[in-house]
Amino acid sequence: MKSTFPLGRALLGAVMIVGACAALKWAAPEHLSLEWSQRLTGALLGFVVVFYANAIPKSLTALARLRCSPQAEQAARRFAGWSLVLGGLGYMLAMLFAPLASAHLLGGGVLIVALAAALWRCFGAGSAAARG
Amino acid sequence: MSTVFKALSDPTRRKVLQLLQAGPIGAGELAAMFDVSKPTMSAHFAVLVNAGLIEADKQGRTVTYRLKLSVLEEALLAFAQTFGLQVTRPQPGHLDVGSNEEKS
Repeated sequence: MKSTFPLGRALLGAVMIVGACAALKWAAPEHLSLEWSQRLTGALLGFVVVFYANAIPKSLTALARLRCSPQAEQAARRFAGWSLVLGGLGYMLAMLFAPLASAHLLGGGVLIVALAAALWRCFGAGSAAARG
Repeated sequence: MSTVFKALSDPTRRKVLQLLQAGPIGAGELAAMFDVSKPTMSAHFAVLVNAGLIEADKQGRTVTYRLKLSVLEEALLAFAQTFGLQVTRPQPGHLDVGSNEEKS
């Protein structure tokens, strides 16, 4: 299976994400308010979800092709990609603009709904293929 | 990214991507849906494959094309279909494939 994200690049990305979160934590409260440090960290995590979900329809082809019909597999990949991108965007927006007390709950809720929808669609396609 | 924009700038190639959204289609069947010659369609397919927007699945003599769009590329395709992409007409002798070639 050809991967869009080779291991070295993925590890570099992980180091950059952790580094950015650590920098935001370090910057508060002297250079950045504690609230904005939390908001920007959440928005960064939402961006990571959007970034990786964007590539789902492109990169998971070979693995998914093993189990179900090409049409169902393609539709499931596209749905999962869109669902998680919108979920990640929802998380980002909630973390940036919602009241901080409810931002985690709201953003997390949107993301969980998006993840559940993607899983439901993918397992639905898989079980439909298994039934024949 | 410029190869993606180049691929999406042509209405025939956009139509190919739109048709492939329903599922993988054989090269011959796909070419038959257009009023252009088979070599022209092959060139269109090559541009789309080079841009990484579709992939060819070769089994014996049969070639099946399947969609390989990221979410962002799919959104760009929808945008291009709705509003069109402002592109300059290729110069005579340019290697890019035109979409208005008649079937030979």
